[in-house]
Amino acid sequence: MKSQKNKNTLATIMLIVFFTILAILIIIPIYTIFLASFKPGGDLLQYGLNLGIDWSRMSLDNYSLLFTGQHEYWRWFTNSIILTVVTVVATLLVSAFVGYGFAAYDFKGKNALFIVVLLILSIPLEVVMLPLYKQMTTWGMMDSYLAIVLPFVAHASTIFFFRQYLLGLPKSLLEAGRIDGATEYGIFFRLIIPIMKPAFAAMAILNGMNAWNNYLWPLLVIRSSGKYTLTLGLNTLINPYGDNYSLLIVGSFFSIIPIFILFVCFQQYFIEGMTAGAVKE
Amino acid sequence: MKKKLVAALLCVAMTASMLLGCSAGSEGGGSDDSSGSGSAGKNEMEVEGDATEIEVWTFIELHQQFYTDMAEKWNEENPDKKVKLVLSNMQYDDMHNKLSLALESGEGAPDVVDIELGKFPAFMTGEIGLRDLTPEIEPYLENIIESRLEIYGKDGAYYGFPTHVGAMVAFYNTAALEEGDVDYTTIKTWDDFKEAGVKYHEKTGKYFACVETTAQWMINLMLRQKGGDYLDADGNIDITNDKMVEVLEYIKGMQETGAFETVPGGQPDNEEAYPSYNNGDYAVQIMPFWQTSRCVNYMSDLSGNVAIAPTPVWNEGDEVKSIGGGGTGTAVIASSENADLAAEVFAYIKLSEGANEEVWNVLGFDPVNTAVWTDTELTQNPENQFVKYFNTYPFDALLEIQDGIMALESLTSEKFPSINNEFCNVTLNNIYENGMDVKEALEESQETLKNEFGE
Amino acid sequence: MKKLFYSQKLAPYVFVLPFALTVVIFWMFPIGNGILLSFQDVLKDEWIGLGNYQRLLSDKIFLKAVYNSAKYMVGTLVLLIPFPMLFATLLNSKLMKKPGVFKSVYFIPALTSVVVAGTIFRLMFGEMNTSLANQIIAAFGMSPIKWLKGEWTSYFALLLLACWRWTGVNILYFLAGLQSISTDIYEAASIDGASKWQQFVKISFPLVKPTTVYVLTISIYAGLSMFTESYMLWKGNNSPQNIGLTIVGYLYRQGIEKRAMGYACAVGLILLIIVMIVNLVQLKATGTFDKEER
Repeated sequence: MKSQKNKNTLATIMLIVFFTILAILIIIPIYTIFLASFKPGGDLLQYGLNLGIDWSRMSLDNYSLLFTGQHEYWRWFTNSIILTVVTVVATLLVSAFVGYGFAAYDFKGKNALFIVVLLILSIPLEVVMLPLYKQMTTWGMMDSYLAIVLPFVAHASTIFFFRQYLLGLPKSLLEAGRIDGATEYGIFFRLIIPIMKPAFAAMAILNGMNAWNNYLWPLLVIRSSGKYTLTLGLNTLINPYGDNYSLLIVGSFFSIIPIFILFVCFQQYFIEGMTAGAVKE
Repeated sequence: MKKKLVAALLCVAMTASMLLGCSAGSEGGGSDDSSGSGSAGKNEMEVEGDATEIEVWTFIELHQQFYTDMAEKWNEENPDKKVKLVLSNMQYDDMHNKLSLALESGEGAPDVVDIELGKFPAFMTGEIGLRDLTPEIEPYLENIIESRLEIYGKDGAYYGFPTHVGAMVAFYNTAALEEGDVDYTTIKTWDDFKEAGVKYHEKTGKYFACVETTAQWMINLMLRQKGGDYLDADGNIDITNDKMVEVLEYIKGMQETGAFETVPGGQPDNEEAYPSYNNGDYAVQIMPFWQTSRCVNYMSDLSGNVAIAPTPVWNEGDEVKSIGGGGTGTAVIASSENADLAAEVFAYIKLSEGANEEVWNVLGFDPVNTAVWTDTELTQNPENQFVKYFNTYPFDALLEIQDGIMALESLTSEKFPSINNEFCNVTLNNIYENGMDVKEALEESQETLKNEFGE
Repeated sequence: MKKLFYSQKLAPYVFVLPFALTVVIFWMFPIGNGILLSFQDVLKDEWIGLGNYQRLLSDKIFLKAVYNSAKYMVGTLVLLIPFPMLFATLLNSKLMKKPGVFKSVYFIPALTSVVVAGTIFRLMFGEMNTSLANQIIAAFGMSPIKWLKGEWTSYFALLLLACWRWTGVNILYFLAGLQSISTDIYEAASIDGASKWQQFVKISFPLVKPTTVYVLTISIYAGLSMFTESYMLWKGNNSPQNIGLTIVGYLYRQGIEKRAMGYACAVGLILLIIVMIVNLVQLKATGTFDKEER
């Protein structure tokens, strides 16, 4: 019995050692960019990213550039926050609305439409990207955030998640609402939305991450540099005609921070949001 | 209850970070006032009184300062026709893509745009969306090197204001060469160049010059000096011609000596390459004259140790001494409301004598108006940062080759952007990175290009 | 009218209307449009029948792009399914202490945008001998490598980037799947004398199959439509010998950079067909269809 226990302790130690090594490997890239945020931008071009620390070359210059320098970083940052918040709020409301429709009612064509939801889940956006782009141009929606948000407010995987979440809903709740004289929509807005908060939190994080990191579609749609988001803006710094690596690196590192803080505070929702699709098959 | 709390917290965090972002954002916005900083993004000029707003796209941030300065002069001289430039600095590929899409859709284009030479032919196909600038160029014609206008033209009309000549010259790191016991003034031909390289490499163990894989500065120069080109007389793709093979073989021979090697970034004008030159890992750059500005800005450690000299030729006394390399043509969008004013203003900004002086003073380029070249008060001004940086007078080399500056014919072909793309991504890499046979690599690329052009 | 709008019969349709509209306006219409465009030369504004498709078949660069995307997808499948599954099983084991901390740490890379992550990896895999990747191989006595210029070295960098970003996420997926398996089954098995390995093979593996299928599906999707990773690693859509060119990269190059919209739409439709076929085969092979029919 005792030897079994020793064996188990050994196994535990081995596991912890193994996963600690893995954790260190995973942190290294973040650590290198953290270090680089204190090094002169030119050093990056000269030496690449590495773990070297040369105290004489480290300084807070990049941070003072970030906070007091002349650049558009904070405009991009603000744009990204606005776009993310708008996307999340709009997507959650519309997708919950639709998801509720799928979960609470039986109607003709429901199955066919639901199959469409599943189909769209597996079609890459890039397939429709160019024709959609062409359409947006004809509709005069280019260079507007509307063109970034609108096509995705009824978001297939979010709808799918909400539907799964609401399937477990007791029908008696709806009946009670109807007896109280609430309309069908009143039921959704007054009874359902309040009980969906955990699901909202999970999806807010999933959609928020996607919106914050979105690149290709905004790249096509947005033209004026005043409307650039953080990802688009950071990419303009990677330019052979300028020496912007100081801002690029410190800006890149700093862009992780807000989402990291949110993650630390609301970990469980991140994890729920990310795994939402996988469990409830 | 707990979940409610969490949701509330989430909202607070979102709002807080948003407010944070906003207040910081307005600070950033506030600092825009002092126009013409050298940073990415948008810059607006401050103009008092009535002014027409002109939207300008560029991909070279150094141009912003220059345009703003010149526009201020224009406003002083033309108080009734004041303009306010709104400059957007974008990423190179992205800007050209957006421009072509905007022209196609007829929406979202700026008033004025800097188009890079390599991309220019793409805007000369089909219905031309750029304004014919010939009337504005007319008054300046006699002083301008004509080949530099033709590269932005079609059927006798000019669509772009050139910025510089971009004559190919050699930049020698004299401190490094001393170490290697090489005297650059004795290098006249490519054979001399190669020999000097071998000697230098033996002595120092460092590389003499780079073999290009992502650009064709030296290749185009050598090709034109031989009288070769990328297209045949009928305009069909012909990159397997003998002269092309000879040039690429010659460079391969240079590489085989060990004294010449590819450089990080693939060419001297690249952010990854600047450090290699700044360190002295490579001693010589065969580049257009405008590399002066890259030297001053990105290779500051070499200050006082760089000499500018004419490039080698195949045989002493050859007629073709140099070619114009690179460049941006500033174009006016035909459909722009302010096209006429924009054309007038930018003719002033880019072609007037004052402008050409500033092209040298501020940007360090070789202006298209050659009258400036001989004005020693400017070209040898001891206060000028470029004069200070180099240990020869930069224009001495230019004046030596002035009559031998030619152009590659195919540069203006609408096929050139694709050829350029193929060379810089596939052909040159195959040869100089992967050791593929020159002829074989060229044949492979020829086939790819034929497929694309449907030949 | 108002009454009808509020009726229980119509309400469900009102609820799903936003989605139906989205499908029609932003999916079906563009796909239909894309099909039409793929038979045209948009710049010259003329119909060319199957011309674009014929050109695709003889277009070596397109075939290279398909090959690259497929190669990338296979690599991610091989690395990003078995290992995360194994790690998740180990993390889920009773012997493991504080799995939550590790879970969180492994998730961090997923928080960085591809723009940032790609830039980090580009600079870590720089060709100078002081870049991290070259420093590491130097420790093993190897000379510096031009990582992003070679086909297989850059493939390694791309896969490492993918693993870095997604290992943690996939571990979470599998953990969620594993945690839905009742512990009684394991206890019964261990009483019967099954080893840990046998338990993994006989119990965990089959029971997390729905999760595996899900991860497989999204990995196929993400692998075949990869673009931004390569765009960031090579600072743009051009890479030496097109070693980093993907199907979407080619679509972007043709449609946006060269304005051959019709040709690019043909590329997009081929991508759609490839994704559909691979997913059908996969769902068939994993038996997901059979389950639904039953």
